[in-house]
Amino acid sequence: MKSTADKFDLQNFIHDLGEVNRKLIKGTETLAGIDEIDVGTAPKELVYEEDKLKLYHYKQEGGVTCKTPVLIVYALVNRQYMLDIQPDRSIIRNLLQHGMDLYIIDWGYPTKSDMYLTLDDYISGYLDNCVDVIRKRIAQEKINLMGICQGGTFCGIYSALYPEKVKNLVTLVAPFDFSTNDGLLFSWSRHMNVDALVDTYRVIPGDFLNSGFLMLMPYTLNIRKYVDMLDVVEDKEKLLNFLRMEKWIFDSPGQAGECFRQFLKDCYQDNKLAKGELKLGDRVVNLKNITMPLLNIYASADHLVPPAASKPLNDLVGSEDKTLYEFKGGHIGVFVGSKSQKELAPTISKWLHERTGDQAIKKSLETKAISAKAKNKGERRADGKNSRETTKH
Amino acid sequence: MESSKNYFDNWLKSQERAFETLTEMTQKFQQSLQGFGGSGGGMQGFGGFQDLYTSWTTSVLNALQKGGNADIPLVKELLGKTLTGSNAYLKLYEMWTLFFKTMQESGAGPDFYKNMSDPAKYKEILDRIFGFDPTSAFKITEQASKLFETLAGSSHGFTKTWMDASDKTLKSFPPMMEGHPEEFMKIFHTLFSAFDSTAGRAFHVPAVGKDREKIKLILRSLDDLSVYLARKTEYEHLMYVTGAGAFEKVIATVADKASRGEEGKRFDEFFDLWIDVNENTFYALFQTEDFSKKQGALLDASVNVRQHFFKLMELYLYDFPIVVRSEMDDLYKTVYDLKRKMRNLEKQLGEVHA
Repeated sequence: MKSTADKFDLQNFIHDLGEVNRKLIKGTETLAGIDEIDVGTAPKELVYEEDKLKLYHYKQEGGVTCKTPVLIVYALVNRQYMLDIQPDRSIIRNLLQHGMDLYIIDWGYPTKSDMYLTLDDYISGYLDNCVDVIRKRIAQEKINLMGICQGGTFCGIYSALYPEKVKNLVTLVAPFDFSTNDGLLFSWSRHMNVDALVDTYRVIPGDFLNSGFLMLMPYTLNIRKYVDMLDVVEDKEKLLNFLRMEKWIFDSPGQAGECFRQFLKDCYQDNKLAKGELKLGDRVVNLKNITMPLLNIYASADHLVPPAASKPLNDLVGSEDKTLYEFKGGHIGVFVGSKSQKELAPTISKWLHERTGDQAIKKSLETKAISAKAKNKGERRADGKNSRETTKH
Repeated sequence: MESSKNYFDNWLKSQERAFETLTEMTQKFQQSLQGFGGSGGGMQGFGGFQDLYTSWTTSVLNALQKGGNADIPLVKELLGKTLTGSNAYLKLYEMWTLFFKTMQESGAGPDFYKNMSDPAKYKEILDRIFGFDPTSAFKITEQASKLFETLAGSSHGFTKTWMDASDKTLKSFPPMMEGHPEEFMKIFHTLFSAFDSTAGRAFHVPAVGKDREKIKLILRSLDDLSVYLARKTEYEHLMYVTGAGAFEKVIATVADKASRGEEGKRFDEFFDLWIDVNENTFYALFQTEDFSKKQGALLDASVNVRQHFFKLMELYLYDFPIVVRSEMDDLYKTVYDLKRKMRNLEKQLGEVHA
């Protein structure tokens, strides 16, 4: 009996393989022509340094329209240049174009000499010092904070401890309620002997964390990604963008042991932040002390920080003016996706401008936003997707 | 001792039987593929093309890694990963073409195709994806054996006897077979006890201060190593079994499609299906508490090995005129405390001035 499988075409398979072969040849040529993988190219100046931390101020060429500066706080894991990964996909450049005055923290690469740094050192030490430096430079009592991922958690904690220094708080894909089982990192970390890990390594290697991230989607991240890369390998610009992303993914600083210990044990394992039991130094962090306006952005398909970990913040704070914003996409898409470039920077800018108290600017922005919204609406209709849904409490 | 010897013999026999079964299955598998893609049987024909292809891509990418602009570390890494990715792609391709060819020549149902999977080949793919090194257990024991031998300064080869026995055990242990990690650990413990109660007695006699401490730590490290290897086997076995299960699902899907007359024109379709099924299957595994516990236990075991190894190294280096790790830790702590104190004082000073 002949199987119906004889409809399969062996020639096609050989063709597929030959095609991969051809792309590899072309790819080696393209790779040979790449001399530099540039990231984080938006112009900026160093304004403060402390130990391994650096505070940068972005150069604003188009004029500042939002009079209160924004301090961007990224996670300790991976590097902050993700927000300016390539010139045409840069939240930083986008926000600058919207008239924002931006500062950003580069936490640096901890070494063994940093092993004793605690969560308190990072938040009440380094972060507070950066906030003070900016307040002094602009001679204002308060600044805006924008925290991303773990940096968002840091900003939330900071705003609860020092509400008098924060005008508005923006959090992006940041975890606050760690009791969820939606994300693998959350369930995996519960069975981790954090004490033994920290006592052994002192500074948790970035590679260790990266292997955990790769395990979240092992087949896609270890195989498919590199096979799919062959589809863009002939285009130098696209390949360069792929390399920029690769550079970011594997550029993972180690984690200062004591800070890692407390973050994992108190937050991931015991959910103390959401319970109001987290202590920094001798102070208890009460998220109800967050009374300034809050914009909390989460990604609906985030596999690293699932919505269930981000959304509860709005119920935990004491703010009356609070906005929960859903971005239709994943964790990384928030920063580099083409949709996020069109959607998030204008949203954040508009939200912050509205809360700076400058009515004239607010009005002009509203006009701009309406026309941009109309344009985006047209685009969304064209691809049949609605990419935004906001909830005001 | 006698009972442990019997236990060991029985275990070895069961492994031999398992190996024989595997060999028999592989032979049958190869026989069923004779004539595939051309004369000469085995992997001639398509296989020949693939070998040529693999060798070409490997040599080109290796050459580029060695020269050209490979001084950019990222480009070098990317080339390595692309090579790994395309090798896994090719391994899968090899397996797929075998299935495909058999489908063409036979009217067998899905079960037949499922049974055709070559565990060794599939294991290679999984090793690439999860970064498992199948020889690591041997390497670890071999290196540990040499290291502990050196550190113990044992000219009588006490630890060597033990390590030789362990090494022999490991070499006869096919990690992806039936997988009884707890048994694996028991064997180590049995051997350890045997060692401890015979040659190990020599170490218990004199209370010789640091030397005794060193010996105890060596024994402890060996025991940690056995626990780690057991956990590692348990973890890898779980991954292999899951991967093999996913592959069965893939083949069943393809065979089912074929029986319904649906065409599978391109390898890439199979590749996509394979990725998706595997990703979903592993995700389901990763979500279980059992997996989290096994992963946590493996991490804990690996950290224990490392921790005791560091202590051992420190003890060994203590007599040399160099600064050891714990002394550096003290220094870092002092610097940290001073910095923190200074930072607080500066803040207080700033507040006073303000």
